[in-house]
Amino acid sequence: MGDMVKGNIAMGEAAIRAGMHIYCGYPITPSSEVMEYLSWRAQEAGRQFIQAANEGEAMYMVYGAASIGSRVLTASSGLGISLKQEGVTYMAAADYPAVMINVCRYGDGLGSLESGQTDYKRETRGGGNGDYRNIVLSPSTVQEAVDLVYLAFDLSEKYRNIVVILTEGALGQMMEDCDYPPMKEVPYYDWAFDGKYTHGPYPSQMAVDLHAKGIKNNEKRAAITENEQRWEAVGVEDAEYVLFAYGIPGRVVLGIVDELRKKGEKVGIIRPISLWPFPQKAFDSINKNVKGFISVETADSGQMLEDVALYAKKKGFGNVPCYFISSPPGVPKSKFVLENFEAIKAGKVKEVF
Amino acid sequence: MKEIVFAGFGGQGVLTAGLVLSQVALFSGKKATWMPSYGPAMRGGTANCTVKYSDSRIYSPGQEEPDVIMALNIPSFNKFISMVKPGGIMLIDSDIVTCDTNVRSDVKVVKIPGTTIANELNNPKALNIIMLGAMVKLMGDFSEKEAIDGMNDMFGKKGKNKYEAANTAAFKKGYAAV
Repeated sequence: MGDMVKGNIAMGEAAIRAGMHIYCGYPITPSSEVMEYLSWRAQEAGRQFIQAANEGEAMYMVYGAASIGSRVLTASSGLGISLKQEGVTYMAAADYPAVMINVCRYGDGLGSLESGQTDYKRETRGGGNGDYRNIVLSPSTVQEAVDLVYLAFDLSEKYRNIVVILTEGALGQMMEDCDYPPMKEVPYYDWAFDGKYTHGPYPSQMAVDLHAKGIKNNEKRAAITENEQRWEAVGVEDAEYVLFAYGIPGRVVLGIVDELRKKGEKVGIIRPISLWPFPQKAFDSINKNVKGFISVETADSGQMLEDVALYAKKKGFGNVPCYFISSPPGVPKSKFVLENFEAIKAGKVKEVF
Repeated sequence: MKEIVFAGFGGQGVLTAGLVLSQVALFSGKKATWMPSYGPAMRGGTANCTVKYSDSRIYSPGQEEPDVIMALNIPSFNKFISMVKPGGIMLIDSDIVTCDTNVRSDVKVVKIPGTTIANELNNPKALNIIMLGAMVKLMGDFSEKEAIDGMNDMFGKKGKNKYEAANTAAFKKGYAAV
């Protein structure tokens, strides 16, 4: 049994355990404890830590660290990650791996300090220019946050792709017990840029056939889509309604489904853990006579809802209505979600797709 | 599953009291979550946290319908009295929460003179631990010894062993006050 630990601090420790060599970042609520913890813990563990002057600078430090073959982490929140986007797309162009934690707060622009899921679209589509996609993983418990950060570095290097841990203020700030995985010491990757062109020229966009590289990238994305879908599903085989929720709302909705099923109600949940790739394989187990899909998100508009509708169509559920429950900032209240679910079942809510 | 809210002025130790209870629950083999209110706040403003513990998986870590609320100031009493589950408990420091507490007939208000006890112990900072002792007694889920061992284990791991005797004394006083 571990002790109570904050999500942000647990993620920082998980990165250390995963063999992270260097952290580069700039603080912002509600993510700041990740770097506050690493500001002393990295040194204690013999790793590097740099606080940059701003987010954009931090991201180019990440770029530099990745280019010389080190495991590198950065963390921020919605608008801080917005400022990093130039560096992110340049890293995508160079096929450089890194792990980026987004402890999301609610809203556009400065938004609020409250917990939210309003960055789904940006993270799953990539927020910079170009064609790239980041792998996006979203935990719903502190333990899962630890496990996903630990995994993220391996995925990032396997596919030479940025991995985003998309979590929420609520998970970053809350405490729960967790068990940490073993400490790893990881060598610098051998294909890194070493200044002597040992592994080929600088991977500049100017120096490569972009279309040929794009085709290769499609193959990479297809492999990620095939291999890296992760989700938790309960009760979908006989469900009349399937709810979709990730992160903190994911665990709230799991509780609702658990309670309703005990009363004999045929309702299920798919809790995506990988947001990109979206767990489309989860649709294969869903009752063919399902009456509706419902996305529950801490966001004004249905962001994941669009993926639910897209993959419902692909998986032969194109005629199943897709509804949205918009939960206000913070942790969704079970009562609120239940009332909205009842309204949908009673035909009082129009489907979005 | 039990849900408890700890609320008061920033600096009274309500977040710590909640953390101790969550750690006691873990120490006793249960699952626990601790969720703080966070965001813009000012000195002297209110703070609160929500603790849940259970023998099985805890789904929502957020505020839903608390079984017990500890309110260490009047604004917290006023904010949370309507949220208590019917049949639940509102635990207050009667030295501080001096307003009319006869608001809901379906909620039991338990009054402990926490500040007076803390002053008697010559340890005004121990108000949160005194109130926690009272709460543990009211909840009935942990024995006095189990809770004190869990509390001391937590502070010990934070390198605060030197307060062990004072914390134990404060906890016992609160526990005995109910």
